[in-house]
Amino acid sequence: MLLRSVVALLAVAFCLLAMQAAGRFGFARLLGKYAVATNSIPAADQAIALAPADAEVHRARARVMNRLKNPAEARKSFEVASSLRYRDDYLWLELGSTRDELGDAPAALAAFEQAVRWAPHYAHTLWQRGNLKLRMGRYDEAFADLRAAAASKKTLMPSLIDMTWGLTRGNPNTAEQLLQINNDSDRLAFAKFLARKGRGKECLEQLRLIATPLSEENRRAMVQQLIAAKAFHDAFALWRTDSTAKSPVIENGGFEEPVELPGTDQGFGWYIVGKPEPKIVRDGSEKLSGRSSLLLGFNGEWKAPADTILQRIVVEPQRRYRISFGVRTKELVTGAPPALVVTDASSEQRLGQSQPFPAPTNNWQTMSFEFDTAPATQAIVLAFTRVEGPCNPCPIFGEFWVDDFLIEDVTTVNPQH
Amino acid sequence: MNSKRRNGPRTIAALLFFVIAQIGLQVGLAERAANTAVPVQPQTVARLTTSNNQPIQVNGLSAATGASIVSGATLETGAGQSATVNLGPLGTVEISSSTRVVLTFDDTGNFKALVMFGCVKIDARKNATGEIATDQGSQGKTNPASGGDLELRYQPGTAPAMGQGVCTAPGAPVPPGGGGTSGGLFGLGVPATIAIVGAGTAAGLTPLFFQDNPSGPSN
Repeated sequence: MLLRSVVALLAVAFCLLAMQAAGRFGFARLLGKYAVATNSIPAADQAIALAPADAEVHRARARVMNRLKNPAEARKSFEVASSLRYRDDYLWLELGSTRDELGDAPAALAAFEQAVRWAPHYAHTLWQRGNLKLRMGRYDEAFADLRAAAASKKTLMPSLIDMTWGLTRGNPNTAEQLLQINNDSDRLAFAKFLARKGRGKECLEQLRLIATPLSEENRRAMVQQLIAAKAFHDAFALWRTDSTAKSPVIENGGFEEPVELPGTDQGFGWYIVGKPEPKIVRDGSEKLSGRSSLLLGFNGEWKAPADTILQRIVVEPQRRYRISFGVRTKELVTGAPPALVVTDASSEQRLGQSQPFPAPTNNWQTMSFEFDTAPATQAIVLAFTRVEGPCNPCPIFGEFWVDDFLIEDVTTVNPQH
Repeated sequence: MNSKRRNGPRTIAALLFFVIAQIGLQVGLAERAANTAVPVQPQTVARLTTSNNQPIQVNGLSAATGASIVSGATLETGAGQSATVNLGPLGTVEISSSTRVVLTFDDTGNFKALVMFGCVKIDARKNATGEIATDQGSQGKTNPASGGDLELRYQPGTAPAMGQGVCTAPGAPVPPGGGGTSGGLFGLGVPATIAIVGAGTAAGLTPLFFQDNPSGPSN
């Protein structure tokens, strides 16, 4: 009986001790979290006093110290924490980062080495060590780490490419050497980056090395990026599906193929600007040749003729071109009749303009106009305009059809520069 | 016995050949590896530190503490984000929230922060020249003889504000490290924290006060 009582008392005492230890530990953790949330050093110190063997409370104190711009104290706490929980790669990373902040690169590297040791196949450890080695000028080792990190975590690849580009001061060959691209996914990421930078030639070279077919979505995205970077020739080379198609060409000039929906800019081909003012439809009942033409119908306003339907056309600089087209008008009533205009796609400089369309009603007739490209012209934009009239505002009513657009290089025929 | 004796040197020769071939192969491979040196010019590479390790945008891509920043990078912080760029011997650049800045630096001791919008503070060390600029031109340079700091707040369409404390003035974007919380546990506020801690403590101590459980199975 006595023995049972002693055993019971001991068990109760043990339980009470365990409860007290758990309580201290839990309360220390809570204080640690509180310290981090409020940047409170006393709370962090109290947490450590309660549970000095708990790495987490030392980490909490280190974080508070870092926030309060006291990395020297943060370093001490991280060092204690990492000694208590030496297999925690994140603790080593935080210690390394703090040492790096203090300018102690060798000690930071030692911490990052430990982080990699305990998490050798994860991207975050290799990425941090690679970045530090890069800043230390140990480029070979740095890129080995950075490449391994990007291979482990694909989302790091764009950052690696961007950093490499900056480091090589925009040299695509050196960047490619450093990146050591050996798969389609990475090569596509590099090609996209080059497109964004307007390096069309290099972008196309990378795309040629890709074994898997390029998706339509990627092709469109890169065409748009090349256009945004004003690399029109390379954008056109990527856009055309028929490699025999040579510039200059007005795509779908006879409107025999459907025109893309409004707001869909494919880069080349007809582009109907989103929510155009006039009615725009392909019309099979009226045509100069083929099966259809394009009808534009008006019922009052046409304030932005250039933002109606347009087409980018790749051309050569310092050449003379002729654009011809068919036009038919019906009850077209306005003080400022429509016409076609050509502008430089980069500088938006006006290069040429057609005569105004005949009004009010006229059967199909072929019109043409010529223009010269500037020394820097790579592409032009063919769009509508309105010939200045005495009216303001200038309403427009009626409709017209256009068909059979054609562009020719007439430099040798009519070299009027 | 004799044939064994004759085969002995042959075996040793074969083993030696194998060993030498192995060494040669390893030396050859080592030489090839040494030839793959990366053709990068040594240059200053800066280090990014972000507040609370929250990622910011560097050249439109996400980057957090520890990222390397090369000259010409565009850094952008969002609301509630801030960052510091450590340029080593040149100095530091502190970027407040809602700021876009283009950072350029070289190995001859010059660095420049072109502020597109937001708030930036540069701190140039001695023998380095720090410059702060906007699209309206250079707004100031530090003296390399003494070093020093410059602080600028700018929004396009307005005149840039320069001077000590413009980034911490009321209405300015939050400077690095200035992201405060409402206090209390997890930012819940002090009263709520006291209530939570108090309730937790009371719950933990309850068994000590009410040891005789009236609804226990012993009754």
